[in-house]
Amino acid sequence: MMLTDVTGLCGHASALAACVLLVPAVRSFTWQRLSWLMAAVFLLVLLPLNGLPLAGYTRGMVGDLSITTLVLIGLAILRPYGIVATEKSRTQLLIFIAVVALIFYPMTLGISLYDPYRLGYGEAGFFSVVLLIALLAWWRQSNLIVLSIALATLAWSLGVYESNNAWDYFIDPLLASYAAFAVLRKGWQGWRTKALPAAR
Amino acid sequence: MPRKRLFLLALLVLASLAATQKIAQRSLVNGFQQTAIAPVASPAFLHSEFVSHQLNIATHAASLIELNDGKLRAFWFAGSREGAQDVTLRSAIFDGKNWGAEQTIINREQTQQGVWRYVKKLGNPVAARRADGALVLYFVTVSLGGWAGSSISVITSRDEGVSWDTPRRLITSPFINISTLIKGTPFSYADGSFGLPVYHEFLGKFGELLRISQHGTVLDKQRLSSGKLGIQPVLLITDSEHATVLMRHTNAPPKRVIATQTQDGGKTWRAPTKLATANPDAALTGVSLPDGRMLAVLNNVAVGRHALSLMVSSDRGMSWRSVYQFEQESEVAVSAEKFAQRTAQLAMTSDANVTDGAPYAATAQRNKCPALCDFEFSYPYLIQTQRGDFHLVYTWNRGLIKHVQFNAAWLENQVLKAPQKDAP
Repeated sequence: MMLTDVTGLCGHASALAACVLLVPAVRSFTWQRLSWLMAAVFLLVLLPLNGLPLAGYTRGMVGDLSITTLVLIGLAILRPYGIVATEKSRTQLLIFIAVVALIFYPMTLGISLYDPYRLGYGEAGFFSVVLLIALLAWWRQSNLIVLSIALATLAWSLGVYESNNAWDYFIDPLLASYAAFAVLRKGWQGWRTKALPAAR
Repeated sequence: MPRKRLFLLALLVLASLAATQKIAQRSLVNGFQQTAIAPVASPAFLHSEFVSHQLNIATHAASLIELNDGKLRAFWFAGSREGAQDVTLRSAIFDGKNWGAEQTIINREQTQQGVWRYVKKLGNPVAARRADGALVLYFVTVSLGGWAGSSISVITSRDEGVSWDTPRRLITSPFINISTLIKGTPFSYADGSFGLPVYHEFLGKFGELLRISQHGTVLDKQRLSSGKLGIQPVLLITDSEHATVLMRHTNAPPKRVIATQTQDGGKTWRAPTKLATANPDAALTGVSLPDGRMLAVLNNVAVGRHALSLMVSSDRGMSWRSVYQFEQESEVAVSAEKFAQRTAQLAMTSDANVTDGAPYAATAQRNKCPALCDFEFSYPYLIQTQRGDFHLVYTWNRGLIKHVQFNAAWLENQVLKAPQKDAP
């Protein structure tokens, strides 16, 4: 087993452990009980069944989770312990992801002869732009964007995953789908809030 | 300034420094490496035989590599049907006269235990030789959906393919790492890195080149076409700067071979064009000759895979002339009885060791006769060995792998005999 298998499987195990938080009954747990439960799920999904752990099945289906996804999962796990990001910072990250995904995925799937995925193998110009975006986000106090870019870039530089392409550390399709859904829902809720008083 | 903001800035600086160091170590494409051929003169010959021996099975997608002792090793996949969970990667050695016993290289379960992910099925295997002498076998694996959901896995052998190490997964696509498949012959760049002609089949259908380091890291990916134009690229190198890529046409009729070229050692590629050569959305193969000409083997028909042609180009792959038919059968589907009769005859003419063609016909029928039967000679893979001989393997009616070998003298005879221009 390579170190990149450990990191990939642990990413999925974290996601599966965080799923515990979706169970309504769990919300009344003390933080100690919750910690034990999530740790148990984390370890359970890493135990091999027929030679392959449960986390290996989800990893086979969707690939390694991006660092940005892990940042959001980490926030979800830490929320019961009182560590929370501001709603504004979270929304800024989700809007950023949704906009990037809207341009990035159609191009990588063949809509054009140009493939932006290629930039992620170490194109200096691309990383300069990413750094500038991160600095701008830092200036505007979009902390989650800065954290995600910095951790993803660091993880890519250290080769934490099997992929040698930085895009796989920045974004993944599950995250993009979630971000698009969350942004649309927020937009819809905002529109309803404005439109409903007028209807009355 | 709040401590949190200072921490974020410090983290960003650290990440930027680490990325700068990694980017500085990146090697860029600097031309192609040509395969050294030292032709040995011999009287003209063409022989054929079957590579695979297992009957009543579905067999497909063969490839070849020359071993250090001059023997050949073939790889293919076989199972109860294409895409079944019992499909395994198979291999056999050709000693110059006969093909040895088949061996199983790897199965689905071994692959998923090695890559630490669920694997549903195995597909096309293609071998390459690393600069340190090790054999590397790239093969298609699917975890989700059909072939469009493929990714590439790799195993390495340091004893010429007798044993193989644990499989690894190549990460080549941002979309849950799906839809990278391999079929074309690997090649080398001047810096010793590998080039893998691969293709994408999910929503779009297009050709790509992967550049892989000697250590197996994906260094770069280049797109050769876009939309739904063509897949299964094959790269034919003229010299360190010039190469032509041929692709299987996957777009609307008329079905023609798709081509693109580079003049700067693979840094940039021209927009792909449609050639005059017919291609029925079927895989093709080819090699470059030391004198600058190119050879290709393909189904040079608009529809079906019933004919397999040897073609020559003298203009770096932009126009092609048919010089020999390896196979030429009825283009219309025939009854099971006629099919059995004809495939039994073909099996005996294909391989002198086959004395009873009936079991071979039954194997072909099993795979090609849902109602009526159509002939299929597909997925060709051509190599030229260091002594200058040519070896072609291809799928024979989805049931067996056939090998045809010929030499330069035979080729020149065919070139002289063939009409100077193909009939329109």
